[in-house]
Amino acid sequence: MLELGPIFRALLRNKIGAILIAVQIAFTMAIIVNAVFIIYDRSQQTKRPSGIDEANTFFISSSGFGDDFDIKGTITQDLEAIRALPGVIDAIQINAIPISGSGSSMGLQTKPGAEHDGTGVAVYMVDEHGIKALDLELIAGENFAKSDIRWRGPAGSKWPAKVIVTEAMAKRLFPDLSYSEAVGKTVYINDVEPMIITGIIDKLQAPWVGWDNLDNAMLSPEKMEFQSTRYLIRTVPGMRDQLMKTVEELLAENKSRVVDGMRSIDYVRERSYRGNTAMIKILTTVIVTLTIVTSLGIVGLASFSVNRRKKQIGIRRALGATKADILSYFMVENFLISASGVVLGAVLTVALNMLLVSALSIPPLDWFYILAGMLVLCLVGQAAVFGPAKKATEIAPATATRTV
Amino acid sequence: MLTMTNVKKVFRTDLVETHALRDFNLQVDEGEFVAVTGPSGSGKTTFLNIAGMLETFNEGTYQLDGEDVSHLNDNQRSKLRNEKIGFIFQSYNLIPDLSLFDNVDVPLRYRGFDAKERKKRIEESLDIVGLANRMKHLPSQLSGGQQQRVAIARALAGNPRFLLADEPTGNLDSAMAQSVMELLKEINKKGTTIVMVTHDPQLATQATRNIFVKDGQVSEINDVVAMHVANG
Ligand SMILES: Nc1ncnc2c1ncn2[C@@H]1O[C@H](COP(=O)(O)OP(=O)(O)OP(=O)(O)O)[C@@H](O)[C@H]1O
Ligand SMILES: [Mg+2]
Repeated sequence: MLELGPIFRALLRNKIGAILIAVQIAFTMAIIVNAVFIIYDRSQQTKRPSGIDEANTFFISSSGFGDDFDIKGTITQDLEAIRALPGVIDAIQINAIPISGSGSSMGLQTKPGAEHDGTGVAVYMVDEHGIKALDLELIAGENFAKSDIRWRGPAGSKWPAKVIVTEAMAKRLFPDLSYSEAVGKTVYINDVEPMIITGIIDKLQAPWVGWDNLDNAMLSPEKMEFQSTRYLIRTVPGMRDQLMKTVEELLAENKSRVVDGMRSIDYVRERSYRGNTAMIKILTTVIVTLTIVTSLGIVGLASFSVNRRKKQIGIRRALGATKADILSYFMVENFLISASGVVLGAVLTVALNMLLVSALSIPPLDWFYILAGMLVLCLVGQAAVFGPAKKATEIAPATATRTV
Repeated sequence: MLTMTNVKKVFRTDLVETHALRDFNLQVDEGEFVAVTGPSGSGKTTFLNIAGMLETFNEGTYQLDGEDVSHLNDNQRSKLRNEKIGFIFQSYNLIPDLSLFDNVDVPLRYRGFDAKERKKRIEESLDIVGLANRMKHLPSQLSGGQQQRVAIARALAGNPRFLLADEPTGNLDSAMAQSVMELLKEINKKGTTIVMVTHDPQLATQATRNIFVKDGQVSEINDVVAMHVANG
């Protein structure tokens, strides 16, 4: 039996407690909905693929010492030896590791000259094994030939004539063309140095996970004649950990260099997204705590109001209310409080989201989250009030005559 | 119409057993106005609670309107209470948060009447007790006598066969008590059976029958003098 009218009017005569709880529900909803949304957003972010074969890839650094250290020879030998290891799919020398946090970026532009703006792009220097070692898919154009690869000296030098870019980068450079039409186009690096796009790869992320241009990456056909260098090795599934040992031992055989910094890409991902993981944990704690506090508030108010109305409940029972009528009275009353709470909550949620959008570069909330939040908080309210309401049904009808 | 045979009611607490009613026998016929008197603690309220199905009893039988009610479950008792019985309490027992209109509405909603029917009944019964013009007021805005009139209106609104009143005038001065009594007599004349517990012999004499309860049992007396003898 729905007693909306009288319940509402009775509620209006005892507003303070109800308003406090409604406001608490509203704030809880605003915080919870935004927290859930941030958690979702961050976990989606954490799940973005880097484009490489993360589970089966690792890297290791080698720093030669002494003036007579043969850089080119060592690198060539190392790569040959590593590629020959059973279980290694491919290996390359590379200047930076995707999503690792450090690397270098340049600007590419479609017209030469300092007066034109470039589009930021992460630079990966690789040889013709780059595509295989990084597990990239060449979706247009062609891979570098062995003859395209040149050595970059430690003092720096001009850029090579060819470049392979990601599909995302191609679209940024040539928004009006399809990515395959970008093949053959000339772009300029360092304002004026031309490079011809000879291939398009599907996906490769930059080293910086928080970067706006995360999907902008280019492959430059180069080896680096640096004392310190880094190799990236891709293995067949299941062989990575074993090969990490093997490669480390193999490189250590050469006593004129130090081998260190060996890490898996799994490790790199975990480290790069540690901030997100921590934030998700904190927000989850906030959500759980707030939900508990609000539930306790509702339980408290309901218990208080059941106690205060013991006599009234007895009277209602004496006048013919069934236990179900008493139960529904408190459930409906709570629903009215929760409903006004979540309506206010929806407004606060949007307001808080607008604040977060400008302060933390979080995307605007989906209306779906607000609806779900309203529903969930109403359900939490109903669950919280159920105990006290059930207790109210146990109040004896004789309470009407027995107590003064 | 109300028949109790050898009804027993025992209250058990950790320390004591109180035999509130022992072999309580009583028959009330349709249209009667029965006044129940007796010393404090003799079991009057207990009897009224059982009659109104607010409490269960341990032994014996109770038939209301020819129906044995001892085996009914809680829901059935609630329903029967709502349909057949109107309660009037010593402390009025209006719901303080509700207007007079909403107070009288309470049993009607549990009855399941539609809004139109309820409104009609509420207005009629508040009219009978002379408070139709105060419908929007809260109980706290009325005098004790007026509140008791609202309680009577609430008891009447569902058209019960039975009015059960536990010291309905206990909190009122004698003039107000008498006017409530007049109202009850009028209601009784229209056919509603009334059982009223009272401490006031002056009011008891105005009923059609007097019952004296002592130690949880009935001794029936019809004239006031005899009752005073038994009492003293
Ligand atoms: N819930 C209860 N638990 C234990 N004992 C009770 C309970 N209710 C009533 N009693 C006892 O039952 C006996 C009868 O009580 P009852 O209220 O029926 O008396 P009464 O005749 O209405 O008295 P009064 O005139 O004071 O209202 C008393 O001894 C009382 O203490
Ligand atoms: Mg009593």
